[in-house]
Order: sequence, then C-alpha cells, then structure tokens
Amino acid sequence: MKLVDSIKKDFNTVTWVLIPVAIAINVVMGEIVVLLKLPIYLDSIGTVLVAAVCGPWAGALTGALSNTIWGLLIDPNALPWWPVALFIGFVAGWCAKFGLFKNWWKVVITGFLVALTAAIASTPIAVYIYGGITASGSSFITAYLLQTGQGLIPAVFSTNFLVEPVDKISTSLLAFAIIQGLSTRFLARFPRPENVEIEQGATRNQLFYAIGIVVVLVLIAAFILTRILTQ
Amino acid sequence: MRERLSFYVKRESFLHNLNPLTKLVLALGLTLIGFLSPWYWTPLAIIFFIIAPLSFVGKVQRDFLNAAFRLILPATGFLFIMQALFQPVGKTELFSIWFLHVTRESLAYAFENATRIFAMVSSFTIFLLTTHPSELMSDLTHRGLPSQFAYVIISTIQIIPQMQAKAQTIIAAQRSRGLDTESSLFKRAGALVPLVSPLVFGSLVEVEERAIAIEARGFTSRHTKTSLREIPDSSFDKALRWILLLLVVAIIAVKIWLS
Repeated sequence: MKLVDSIKKDFNTVTWVLIPVAIAINVVMGEIVVLLKLPIYLDSIGTVLVAAVCGPWAGALTGALSNTIWGLLIDPNALPWWPVALFIGFVAGWCAKFGLFKNWWKVVITGFLVALTAAIASTPIAVYIYGGITASGSSFITAYLLQTGQGLIPAVFSTNFLVEPVDKISTSLLAFAIIQGLSTRFLARFPRPENVEIEQGATRNQLFYAIGIVVVLVLIAAFILTRILTQ
Repeated sequence: MRERLSFYVKRESFLHNLNPLTKLVLALGLTLIGFLSPWYWTPLAIIFFIIAPLSFVGKVQRDFLNAAFRLILPATGFLFIMQALFQPVGKTELFSIWFLHVTRESLAYAFENATRIFAMVSSFTIFLLTTHPSELMSDLTHRGLPSQFAYVIISTIQIIPQMQAKAQTIIAAQRSRGLDTESSLFKRAGALVPLVSPLVFGSLVEVEERAIAIEARGFTSRHTKTSLREIPDSSFDKALRWILLLLVVAIIAVKIWLS
C-alpha cells in the first residue's frame, strides 16, 4: 500500500492541470532552442519541473506522454524515446524527494544523475531500433568510435555519456531557476512543495562543496568512460 | 494559428466510422508486424498494399500523400542517409568518404530500417487522419481509462498550438526591442532568458486558475460521468481486433521458429 499511497500523493488537480502545460513547455522549448541554434536540446524542462514539485510518478507520466504526443503529432523521430523521458522524470523526482533540488549545486548533481539515467536508458533503444545510428547529430561521434573499432554498445553509451550531462545539467538548472521565480503561495498548491524549499546556509562552504562534487563527478565520468573504451 | 494540434480530417467513410480503438489496434498491429517480421520486404509491402489502399478507403489519400511527402519522407530519408553512411556492417564496399564506408550491407540495413519507421509513422498518420482525438478519448474513458488521462491528452493538444503562438509573439516582440538571436553562441544562449521567462511564467500562472475552474466542475468527482455521444462498437470491430492480435502473435511465432 505504501507504493500506491506514494503514487496517489503525486496527483492532485493542480498536477493534472500542470502536466499538459509542462508538455507544451517541453515542445516549445525544444523549438526555441532549434531557432536559436544552440547545441543542446532542453526539451525536458517541463518534465523536470513536474518531477520536482509533484513527485517522481507525475514526472515519469509527463515524460512518457510528452514524447508520445510529440512523436505522434510533430516529429516521428521522438516517438521511440518515450522510455528515456519516463526515466528522466522518474529519477529527477526521486532526486528532488531526497532533497537534491534545494540549492544550485545540489541541482547540478540532480542534472548529472538524470544525464546518467538518460544515457543508460537510451542506449538499448538506439542499439535495437536504430542499430546505433540515430537521426541526431551526435551520431557522428558514435560513427567515429565505431570506425576506430569499438563495440556497438560501448560506442553508443559513451556518445550518450558525452552529450547528455551538459544538456541535462542545464535543463535542471533552468527548471530550478523557474521554480525560484514562482511564489511560495503558488508552489504550496502542488503535492510536494517541500522538495523545492531553498536552503539557506553558509555560501562560501557551499561553493567549496560544489567545486568538490563537480570535480568528483567529472573524475567518475572519465573513469567510467576510459574503462568502457579500453575494454 | 491552428485551433488544436490534430491531423483529423472530417469525412464520411468506412474508416471514419470504425471504432477508434479498432483503428488504434490497427496502427499498433501494423507497426509491430513491420518491426518483428523476419522477411525483408514486409514493411514496404505494408506501406504499399495496406496503408496506401487504406488511405483511399478513408478518403484521405490527398492529406496522407501530403503528410507522407512533407513530414515522413524527409525524416526517414535523413535516417536512411545517416545509417547508410555510418553503419559499420558488411564488407562489399561501394564507395567511401573520409572515414565513412558505404557498403552494400549498410545500404540494405538502412533501407530496411527506414521502411520500418516509414510504415510505423504512416500507419499512425492514417489513424490520426481518420480519428477525432476526443472520440478516441471518450471511447477509452468508457472502457475504463481514468478520465484524468483523457483530460491531459486533450488539453495538451489544445495548449501546444496556443503556446507556439505565444512563443512566436514573444520572439517577435523581443526582436523588435533589439534582442540578438543570430550572432555568437553566448549571445544566443543569453537570449534564452528573455524568451523563456515570459513564456513559462505566463503559462504557469494560468495553471492555478484552470485548476480551480475544473475542480468547480466536478473534475475529481468519483461518480460515473454520462457522455453526450455514444461511440459505436460493432461485432466487425471486435473481430478485426482479434484478427490483428492473432496476426501479431503469428508473426512473433514465425520469427522465433525461423531463428
């Protein structure tokens, strides 16, 4: 029953109304980024937003519906990726639940974890549906790695791993900035306003923590990547 | 501005009168058969011998051709080129550019994949051309889908075009104030803030009002809601759904048997 209660907690009327708006934010952000010719996607801001203020289950639903509707009505290439969007929402929701959405350096960690999830979840889809080469520009890197004699799965995974963190960390930071711009009274209507209460603390210590954590994350990433590529 | 994001074309045809769920099962079934079939030419056969005739049955052939050439063909064509160039399979090299080798096998692989995606997208296009979204949703709600899902999907396809129009207005307004959306990368990234914040905050403010409005209309009520329109579900619909299900199972069986 604990699971059912946890799912139920995510969905009140405001959640149901926020989800369509969040999906529209995903779609329109994706289009603005293309218009500005920026080298990132930012097409899961709405999903991360819902995940942070409403919870993991609502986030997962937003992600899955977002890609399905996008794929059916706008760009068919978005359709096979709905499980990735689902996991993005789910992991962002759990991160927020464990207090990783309360100040900017914690949000960076959330972004990194979300990116890791996205990289893992999109690898099997890229491999089994597209044979590793998708219709996105980052397939250049995959192709190059394949030509240097890498296996298919390591090549796809390391491409995703190189591309995702920048995108997902900026996505999470933007979602955080949006939430900070909303009033407490408005946020209190969502199921989990306590997730995004900002933490006040010694700012200098925070900066040191932040730098330390980013360095550790980069080291872990480099370690994983070299392990994969030297196999 | 389009009122809602939908391909639906109102016509009077056999396909339009089928139950929405049957058409959904048809689109899903054709997709699965295209992806799971062990024979190389199946997706192409589905496109030419099932989907194309269906577009005539549904009297939507012109809209279908339009969508096929303007949306589906560019997307699958791009996928075909990417895979033909980058897929490192096969040995019979046809020609090579820089470090990319185009082989006969990679061409064949890319072609198969492109036709599969084409079959998938075009079967869903036929489905969307002949099915009104609210009809599908009220049928599914009738069969036990929570009405909140129906609300989310219907209101999403209404909100997206509204928001796209709003984004266009904001972009035009900020450009007329001299916002730089074309020069260096940093300037373009900086342009994100004045474009995104009015859009996002503006649409989030509406959320609260809308929540109060639908709450006042019994959105969370647990009573069964009556529907104005009855959607027909004939025995032919039921038979067709079973046949499609059996076909998918048969294809999976053949695939396992042949491998």
